[in-house]
Amino acid sequence: MRPRVDVLVIGAGLAGLMAAWQAAVAGCRVRVITRGPGALFWHAGCVDVLGYAAQDTERPVAAPRDALLHLVNANPAHPYARVGLEGVETALSALQQVCEAAGYPLRGDLSHNWLLPSAVGAFRPTCLAPETMVSGDLARRDPLLIVGFEGMLDFYPELVADNLAEQERPARSVRLDLPSLRERRQLTPVTLAQLFEAPEFRRQVAEALRPKLGRAARVGFPAVLGVHRPLEVKQDLEAKLGREVFEIPTLPPSVPGMRLYTILVEAVRQAGGDVFTGMEAVRAEAENGRVQAVFTEAAARLNPHRAHAFVLATGGLLGGGIVADADGHLREVILGLPVQGPESQTKWFRQEFLASEDHPVYAAGVAVDERFRPVGAKGVPLYTNLFVAGMTLAGDDVIRRRALDGVAVATGYAVGQHAARSVQEAMR
Amino acid sequence: MRGFDAILVEKRDLTHGTTGRYHGLLHSGGRYAVKDPQAAVECIEENRILRRIMPHCIEDTGGFFVVTPWDDPDYVPRFVDGCRRAGIPVEEVPVDQMLREEPLLNPHISHCFRVPDAAADSFLATEANAESARQHGARIWTYHEVTRLVRQGDHVVGAVCHDLVKDEEVHIHADLLVNAAGAWAGQIAAMAGVEVNIIPGKGVMVAMAHRVVNTVVNRCKLPSDGDIIVPIHTVAVIGTTDVKVSDPEHFPIEPWEIALMLAEGEKLVPGLKQMRVLRAWAGVRPLYQETVVADTRDVTRAYTLLDHETRDGLRGLITITGGKWTTYRQMAQVTVDRVCEKFGVERHCRTHEEPLPGAERAEYHWLGAPLARVERERAYGRLVCECELATEEDVIRAITEGQARTIDDIRRDVRLGMGPCQGGFCTYRAAGIWHALRRPRVTETNVALRDFLQERWKGLLPVLHGQQLRQERLDELIYLSVLNADHLPGPTVSPLAPVMYEPAGGTQRDGPST
Repeated sequence: MRPRVDVLVIGAGLAGLMAAWQAAVAGCRVRVITRGPGALFWHAGCVDVLGYAAQDTERPVAAPRDALLHLVNANPAHPYARVGLEGVETALSALQQVCEAAGYPLRGDLSHNWLLPSAVGAFRPTCLAPETMVSGDLARRDPLLIVGFEGMLDFYPELVADNLAEQERPARSVRLDLPSLRERRQLTPVTLAQLFEAPEFRRQVAEALRPKLGRAARVGFPAVLGVHRPLEVKQDLEAKLGREVFEIPTLPPSVPGMRLYTILVEAVRQAGGDVFTGMEAVRAEAENGRVQAVFTEAAARLNPHRAHAFVLATGGLLGGGIVADADGHLREVILGLPVQGPESQTKWFRQEFLASEDHPVYAAGVAVDERFRPVGAKGVPLYTNLFVAGMTLAGDDVIRRRALDGVAVATGYAVGQHAARSVQEAMR
Repeated sequence: MRGFDAILVEKRDLTHGTTGRYHGLLHSGGRYAVKDPQAAVECIEENRILRRIMPHCIEDTGGFFVVTPWDDPDYVPRFVDGCRRAGIPVEEVPVDQMLREEPLLNPHISHCFRVPDAAADSFLATEANAESARQHGARIWTYHEVTRLVRQGDHVVGAVCHDLVKDEEVHIHADLLVNAAGAWAGQIAAMAGVEVNIIPGKGVMVAMAHRVVNTVVNRCKLPSDGDIIVPIHTVAVIGTTDVKVSDPEHFPIEPWEIALMLAEGEKLVPGLKQMRVLRAWAGVRPLYQETVVADTRDVTRAYTLLDHETRDGLRGLITITGGKWTTYRQMAQVTVDRVCEKFGVERHCRTHEEPLPGAERAEYHWLGAPLARVERERAYGRLVCECELATEEDVIRAITEGQARTIDDIRRDVRLGMGPCQGGFCTYRAAGIWHALRRPRVTETNVALRDFLQERWKGLLPVLHGQQLRQERLDELIYLSVLNADHLPGPTVSPLAPVMYEPAGGTQRDGPST
């Protein structure tokens, strides 16, 4: 039976969506199946490429390109090394183009990391930031006003401003107690983002804020400035306040992350692919060194999804693609791929939660060859048509390195191309 | 309550010691019915009293004693007989009835007996006692660690404490000192130059992330490791080991202890090992015996009052030690009886008669109560801790009315961070509310945030796997990546930081060096 799709992608995080989009652009029929949206909904909505290098965990990386060069030379098995510096650059530009085309530009490049305020007021290094965040640039020293909303439990302007001031950035905070918000029982980031889409709400905010602006040159809001048209919201507020406006990422769910998710899903669909949520891949079937089908569970039976090539972008320990059991075994859940990690459970963690060095278990993952195909003990690919991207890959604690999004974008992009090539080979 | 001017000092927050680190069982006494009849009698007497004076701290779960295929059936008649002698109500429950009530219990259980065990919230109970004491004029100073006792000849006349928060020395003069330092009682006595042989008996507990059972379930056998599951609030706790340790402050949780708890728990609830494990903790029992023993399980759970004047010729010091959480009130009663005697006054104890603050409605706590309150007050949108349903109002009250010095102190008041996400969302929120209300130098808030994350990590570290590991990875994503909380300004070490589960002198875990 001829498969209905060429490439089946498992997982709709940044890695899975990049892979799906690339494979679709390369002319493949692509289907993405996913249990739910991936880590995009949890993360800041920026692209962290390399925020802290392993050899200096205190000072943020100033120029990601230089640090990446060092990293790929020192660690040839690192996901970035598999992609190569040029590949990373190409993947990032490709993402930037998609976002630009969607009216949501991501600013920055590998020559420099932004330092942007976090929701506790720490300096957050990131490589690509949406247009809505870049006025928060902490390389600048002009005064900031941080705005919060009475009733919103996921953002504390006092904490942000005081920590910025502690680090010699003049900052004040203000909390808006808007009458129109008082009747609301719940003020999540998403609720607020929907409210900000309405001009009338923005008028109320601006009116309440104007007398409090003082010397502030720029005004920081929690990252809730609209779901669909954030740039319009930002520009409108800037016009009303006469100040630059920027967003600060909040606790999950992440509105900027949702925007990226929406843009990428749309890009996949535009290129002819499909994205199905609520589908959990539970096992796979292989024959002659090729994966034949991946099964999802629905209504108490298993549904097969056949394809020429498969992309595993299941998010590792964070996404649930790798599970650690009580007896200390690390298991890749769909195909039972070998997982590379610390030999003993006693070596999984350090004593300090915020340890600057990695908890060793978090670098655990699936080892791959130069085409991102999972390999066995001798380095030989286990399946010729299975490709792994994102956090399921072995090699680094990408959260500690602040490289989560960069690794996802770069490996997802590369894997999309490898998968497409493998389809072309199979058709030949 | 009996008119003495009293100061209570505690080295950390209240319940820092063993009170805050047990499984939450209000004993019926059934556990000691055969082996330790004296302790059994004390337990059932106090069980009845505590239900009366602090029902709001107790969930009336009832308790089962069950005979599994691994247990000696000959113990059964001895158990029933022991309960009857101690005055513990006991009735046999047919196994099919038991399974109707607790469907996850092992169907191969052969006998089941019901006793009046219950679950008790020791944080809330301690706060209720402290509040009552305050209302009667007592002063309670937390984060005051006793550094030495002041002795004039053969008379103890006071204590010197270190105030950990202000980092200063505090001198307290007293006509009488009561040493109720639990597992630390030997150390306090030593400061006065007398020997009290406390054997710190470490017990490890493992919390499952949900209520595996709604009834306290005990194995019907002589007390041993991992033979009890206590449903408390939103979790179920498996306890416990009993390992003699040299130091009540520094001890590890060993991997074998976790494995043993899960393996024994599996005998009561098949499939337990596949369920989500939330957390582990360990406390030290203050076991007292005049002679040295090898196995701490053989030491009585009854309490002992030591009058050092008659025992050692040292006036001004009384030690109360041994005992169980369940018998705390009785221990206090006999202690203050002795205090009255010392001062030559006759004032009667009323603690068994007067309900504690918070018990006004005379209703037991029940599992759904926090949710019912959130629904009644329509507070869904005001939840700082979604897992344990702690509202913004609760947290504000704990900060402004309570004596919270750390976010962990807020946790003990309102259960913040005790649920499945283990502080993932609420640590940030609590730190933000704390900072907005108190407006301290921001580096102090940063330390409070760090300390609480580390405190939660402390109990996760021994058990982290499965879904809880995935959750922890999300918490890392939030605190490292979204917030960059590991690069906040200010000191990274604090005197109020949690004491990790590791032996004295640092870790001997077979892990990477830090």
